[in-house]
Amino acid sequence: MTEYYGSKLEDIFNSMEDRFRPEGAEGVDAIFCYDIAGEDGGKWQVSVKDKELRVEKVEGNLKGCSVTIITDPETFIGVTLGKIDAGEAFSSGKIKVDGDIGLLTNILPKLFTKYTPPAKDVTSKDIIDTVVERFRADKAEGIDIVIGYDITGEGGGKWSVIVKDGYCSVKEGLDPNCTVTMQMDAKVFVGLNLGLIDGTAAFTSGKVKIEGDMGAAALSAGMFERFKVGVIEGAEELISLKCLPSIDQRFATGPVMGKWFDGLKEKKFYATKCPVCGRTQIPPREICALCRVRCTDFVELGPKGTVTLIDDVYYASPDPLTGEVRETPYAGVYIVLDGASEEEAFAHEIKKEDIDRIKPGMRVRPVWAEKRVGSYKDLLYFEIDE
Amino acid sequence: MANKKKNRNVAIIGIGQTEYSSHKEHQNQAEMVNEAVRRALDDARITMDDVDCVMHGNMELFEMVYQPDLWHEIGTGAYGKEEIRITTGGTTGASLVCAADNLVASGMYDVILAVGLEKLQEGHTTGGITNMADPLWFRHLQTGALTGTTAQEMIEEFGEDRAKRAAMKYRIMMDKHACLNPRAHRRFGLEYDQMDDLMNTSPKLVGELRLIHMCSQSDGACVMVFASEEKAKKLCKHHPPVWIRDHITVHREETLPNLFGFKKPEMTQRYAARKLFERNGIKDPVEYFDVFEMYDPSAWWGLDWLREFLLLKGDEHIKMLEEGEFDLDGKLPVNPSGGVTATNPIGATAMLRPAEAALQIRGDAGEHQLERNVRHALASGFGGTFWTVLIMLEKDLNW
Amino acid sequence: MAVHKEDTSHCYVQFGRMALPNQYFAGRVGSRFIIALRDEHKILGVRCDKCKKVFVPPREYCERCMSRLDDNWVELSNEGVITNFTIVRYNDKHLPRKAPYVLALIKLDGADTPFAHIVEGIDPSKVTVGMRVKAVFAKETTNTILDIDHFEPL
Repeated sequence: MTEYYGSKLEDIFNSMEDRFRPEGAEGVDAIFCYDIAGEDGGKWQVSVKDKELRVEKVEGNLKGCSVTIITDPETFIGVTLGKIDAGEAFSSGKIKVDGDIGLLTNILPKLFTKYTPPAKDVTSKDIIDTVVERFRADKAEGIDIVIGYDITGEGGGKWSVIVKDGYCSVKEGLDPNCTVTMQMDAKVFVGLNLGLIDGTAAFTSGKVKIEGDMGAAALSAGMFERFKVGVIEGAEELISLKCLPSIDQRFATGPVMGKWFDGLKEKKFYATKCPVCGRTQIPPREICALCRVRCTDFVELGPKGTVTLIDDVYYASPDPLTGEVRETPYAGVYIVLDGASEEEAFAHEIKKEDIDRIKPGMRVRPVWAEKRVGSYKDLLYFEIDE
Repeated sequence: MANKKKNRNVAIIGIGQTEYSSHKEHQNQAEMVNEAVRRALDDARITMDDVDCVMHGNMELFEMVYQPDLWHEIGTGAYGKEEIRITTGGTTGASLVCAADNLVASGMYDVILAVGLEKLQEGHTTGGITNMADPLWFRHLQTGALTGTTAQEMIEEFGEDRAKRAAMKYRIMMDKHACLNPRAHRRFGLEYDQMDDLMNTSPKLVGELRLIHMCSQSDGACVMVFASEEKAKKLCKHHPPVWIRDHITVHREETLPNLFGFKKPEMTQRYAARKLFERNGIKDPVEYFDVFEMYDPSAWWGLDWLREFLLLKGDEHIKMLEEGEFDLDGKLPVNPSGGVTATNPIGATAMLRPAEAALQIRGDAGEHQLERNVRHALASGFGGTFWTVLIMLEKDLNW
Repeated sequence: MAVHKEDTSHCYVQFGRMALPNQYFAGRVGSRFIIALRDEHKILGVRCDKCKKVFVPPREYCERCMSRLDDNWVELSNEGVITNFTIVRYNDKHLPRKAPYVLALIKLDGADTPFAHIVEGIDPSKVTVGMRVKAVFAKETTNTILDIDHFEPL
């Protein structure tokens, strides 16, 4: 089994029993199937019924699945660990779902506590990779040195750490201008950095060989923060606060936009007409921004018009006026109303039953609310004019 | 004829970025900002003592934190300094650069540190954007920044198959670039042979705008340090300064429907490019620029706008894409960083464009560094109802 | 001169609401502060050795000198002194208490920065600057600064 992000597929499935939360399984009766492709993949069936859990590795076909997750080992482990965003894996097609997707989004997260990977061995490279971020500029004032690390044995390597003018950088290989070079086995290097081996003892026993300026070696210890074994994501509690601020608003229409709402009450569309370029603006606006003049003339447009473009909306955005999620799909249409200037389209929704048939160039007519009070709710939608 | 209206020259002397991701639970907003601030100061080899003024930009409706410049003071380094907040929607990051350029050029400040950020995980982006629309009329119909109209227009103009393929090729090209950028948020590892699959299976958002085409929602911050010519030459020892030659901001009316009548007005992208190139004596932008970092909120928009920005005609932009001219080794590489479909912390997004372009000029972009000698760079911002910001950067102070 | 009166006959008022969900992450430093309040009833701060200041609530970096502080935690006393205060005399659904209540700046013993909290257990008119107070912890946690329910006079 190949490891990804320090975990194997088996680690995740085998730990499910320990992570199971019966209190989250109230009333759940479902079979979650995992079809994880590739040589190092496999198939698992996770059944939840009567607040009890059964996890099985399946050799043949998956049967009776309420929902099946089809993916590859790397993606699955990455998503489980939060290294890969589930929504993104889904959008890029790396995770495919067959069956009741609601089980995954609403039920599954309640069934288990978060998976944390087994602790990982630290390598010399892990330590070197964090040197720059562990560097304390405030402890390195006036220091100008190059420290060479010659790490032997498994997981070893050669690196130079350059400290100058309060900045630190690392390069591979031993710099010819090393102020000091320290040679030791990778195990000793890791042990020293984790605080498992005493520095003085390691030096006196000859486990660490130092060439060059001994003083610089001593200095180097104070300039870096201690290496910390990577904090396992999910293992520490991070506080977050959910809020839903709701602010009531009042908007004044003013007389120009007011004329528009007057019109809606009478089932009429009023536009302003620019005295210079003749452009009609709908809903009406007081100024023609192109000619920078005031528009005081109103003209009546439509009520019928011709469709120019259609937006079929599948994404459920929230209605900003209520915070509630809109029902999808719906279709927005751009319409040039009869009598409008040709560049000025008007946008609204098309009747649900007409979504499949609507095409650019088609004629449409407005459908009005029975009771009209001078609000955006007075105009319900447009429908195909047949 | 070069545009020489500036009182004095302005350079970019430091750039700091966080890594970008879909979530940053381990940091609060100010800590995320601070990470980028420290990196920018380190990059410029200066301290806050050298900075005269701090600029801040994000969208408060995206995190629902009112007066974020106040909240973030703890991370921006603005304590005891002058601070200016700029928030212009999607263009925020680019507006910060333009304003910093103006403020330094004018002589008001010698060194400015500008912060662009967003932590989109903390709010509801689309919900926030809908509040941009007129509450009296269009807000109840607004779908955030999602629209399929450009896809529809391109399908109409170039045929369904060619248009869909081109948009998907653009998207995969961006992903390939992003895969070379370790800071980029979404790095899918897409291959060109997935084109047909993705064209048909990626979930639809609006019309032919599919999930895969659309930009990400990212957390992250970008910080840039600007200095006058005199200061830049004094401070910038570690790497060369990058010069801001000129910039232009173009707004249009706040209503969107009047873009979709029977007659299409000139887009702000083309208007901005035309004006900017004209006053700087640039006849052929494809020839002149060595890299273009473009604010491309979706693959459809990115591809469509290339025609406008580069003053191309007909299907020239599609041909260039098909022939690999926007690849890293093409005639005009577009978004070596992976662009906005990969990384989109909105208040920082439009700043990332000139920041990444400047890194290309410096030769410090890292794995996605272009092999050519990048001397002239173009960067764009997008926001509002199709507003455009366009910024020109130069390696040498010789125009 | 005649007073011009606006014609409002075609004017309407439309009612709207802005309702947007959001989530705020405290981060590692903020979480440690809240968790210590919640689980151990301890108030933690951080010390900047360079600026010689103890900040509470804690922060990852010093806003003044940019030194890293999150490895320099200090436990503060649950008692402190009121450095300033105001009496909130209006009611609003967003406020944590019914008016009138005292909102005070309290400098805890061992801290250099005061922080705002509610003072109860005393007639608001009797509160004075310099008064010693101690934290009273909440019975139920909200994972916020209100895990200290209020301060009361010693």
